[in-house]
Amino acid sequence: MNDIMRNIYLITILTLRETFSRKIFIAFFAISTLSLITMGIILASVDVESFMSFFGQKAQNNEIILSEILSGLKLMIVSPLFGFGLFLSIFSVSSLVPNMLEKGNIDLLLSKPVARYQIIIGKFLGGTLVVFINIAYLVIGMWILFGIKFGIWETAFLYSIPMITFTFAVLYSLIIIVGILTKSSILAMMLSYIIFIIISPILAFRENFYPLIDSKATEIIIDVLYYIVPKTSELGTQMSDLSISGGIDDFQPILTSLAFMILILYFSIIIFNKKDY
Amino acid sequence: MNIITINNLTKIFNPNSKSSRVTALNNFSLTVNESTIFGLLGPNGAGKTTLIKILLGIVFPTSGTAEILNKKIDDYLVRKHVGYLPENHKFPLYLTGEDVLKYYAQLSGCSKEGLQEKIDSLLKLVKMYKWKRTKVKSYSKGMMQRLGLAHALIADPKIIFLDEPTDGVDPLGRKEIRDILLELKSEGKTIFLNSHLLSEVELVCDRVAILHKGSLVREGTVVDITTQKEIYEIKINQKLDSEIVRKSTEGFSFSQKDDYTLHLKVESPEQRDKLLDKFRQNGISIEAMLPLKTSLEDMFINLIHETDNREDNE
Repeated sequence: MNDIMRNIYLITILTLRETFSRKIFIAFFAISTLSLITMGIILASVDVESFMSFFGQKAQNNEIILSEILSGLKLMIVSPLFGFGLFLSIFSVSSLVPNMLEKGNIDLLLSKPVARYQIIIGKFLGGTLVVFINIAYLVIGMWILFGIKFGIWETAFLYSIPMITFTFAVLYSLIIIVGILTKSSILAMMLSYIIFIIISPILAFRENFYPLIDSKATEIIIDVLYYIVPKTSELGTQMSDLSISGGIDDFQPILTSLAFMILILYFSIIIFNKKDY
Repeated sequence: MNIITINNLTKIFNPNSKSSRVTALNNFSLTVNESTIFGLLGPNGAGKTTLIKILLGIVFPTSGTAEILNKKIDDYLVRKHVGYLPENHKFPLYLTGEDVLKYYAQLSGCSKEGLQEKIDSLLKLVKMYKWKRTKVKSYSKGMMQRLGLAHALIADPKIIFLDEPTDGVDPLGRKEIRDILLELKSEGKTIFLNSHLLSEVELVCDRVAILHKGSLVREGTVVDITTQKEIYEIKINQKLDSEIVRKSTEGFSFSQKDDYTLHLKVESPEQRDKLLDKFRQNGISIEAMLPLKTSLEDMFINLIHETDNREDNE
């Protein structure tokens, strides 16, 4: 491992340890574990026939119907996971950068033979990795439980892991730049929530508002905004589709959100490189 | 060999703001030799910490250049050879003392081979071995400072920057830290020390620089700086008689410290010889005559007041 990779790796690992030392992530793990245990108990206590009859289906209607029921069930798991998981993740990582920038802490880091861009990349990877681990733990756990019980091992359900992680990574890049600019975890967190909960869903349905808008210029501005702002709402919809059907129809939300993330990280590094601490 | 070279370094914070513009360093130049303990003194806000932060790439200079080990400071790899103990440092609270050293050692480029032995020996040196598996969040200020010192030494640096290293450490601990610094110097390390405790600086530093309002006001060896060459302390082996004293010191400015000691101001070596002759003529036997030394603290306070008064008059 060369020096650059080693430095990024070390900062990633420290970020990972920092987040795992927080109660919020321990709580996240505890909730995930509890959900897995509860689901395990439920699945162990019912047989396949009574499970299908619970959903109004006869057992002989076989595997196709069972698979459809399971898809619905999985959707019931990943959709709240997307919302609740991201909400908790944003909350728990929003202070990573402001904490790092505190006097006495940043001095220790910057006085080491580490380039500033390596610190930002390490922080980004560390935060993203911890969310990936948390989400993977719950989703893979559920997937194994369903697989064991029903013998159906559809991998599409697992696609929700990279999709949720990717959506988080896009918002996390925003948290990083706001953290660098303001050293405020609250501001970083608020801005992410506003985009995630308000702006992105509104912009996703922008075409429904156009009949109400007279000005063409306003429409253009809203369109531009739509392409700039991360499309967390559509990423959520795509995650649901992907975890059921295993396919994506439109790559635009993913690609524009990816471009947003890369640009924001690039600007974060540029700003961080010029700041005095 | 110069291990640190600073040329005309200026740092202005908020240069475009009229209300919050601060000149932290003003055309500051300095060199520091290898294997010495160099003390940087100055009142609060003098620019001492800013200078160290510039040298370590934490703050960027507005103008001027600086080199460490003949490499420009903007090359971050030069920091492989530098150890730093910042003032009020904050180690990750969820790590143990041992973990802190391991982590920062690796970040400084140390290989894993032999690292554990090195960590143990440093923790023993700073008397923290007993608490190596205790989380940093339980450490007292003094323990943090000791761990901070070990952290500054972990990568076996050639230059060690210490910002208030004895802050929060008890007198016994301070003595131990001073001994460590002297030992490091004997190993060929260069130590750059920022401290408010002038008595400590006086005890360990070879050279000192006094910084005030971002400018260098005095630099030299501790002996040079604390010696007032024009004032002599004269010790007499008999109790001083005021009439004889008056006769002997006619034309000189003097003060009597006690029954056996006088402080006299002389302008030149010729005047000093003339004074000695006068004493002898009056039958006074001189036991000792030495240039008067002041403490670094007294010298520092006088110098800062003088500089402030001069600026006020201007």
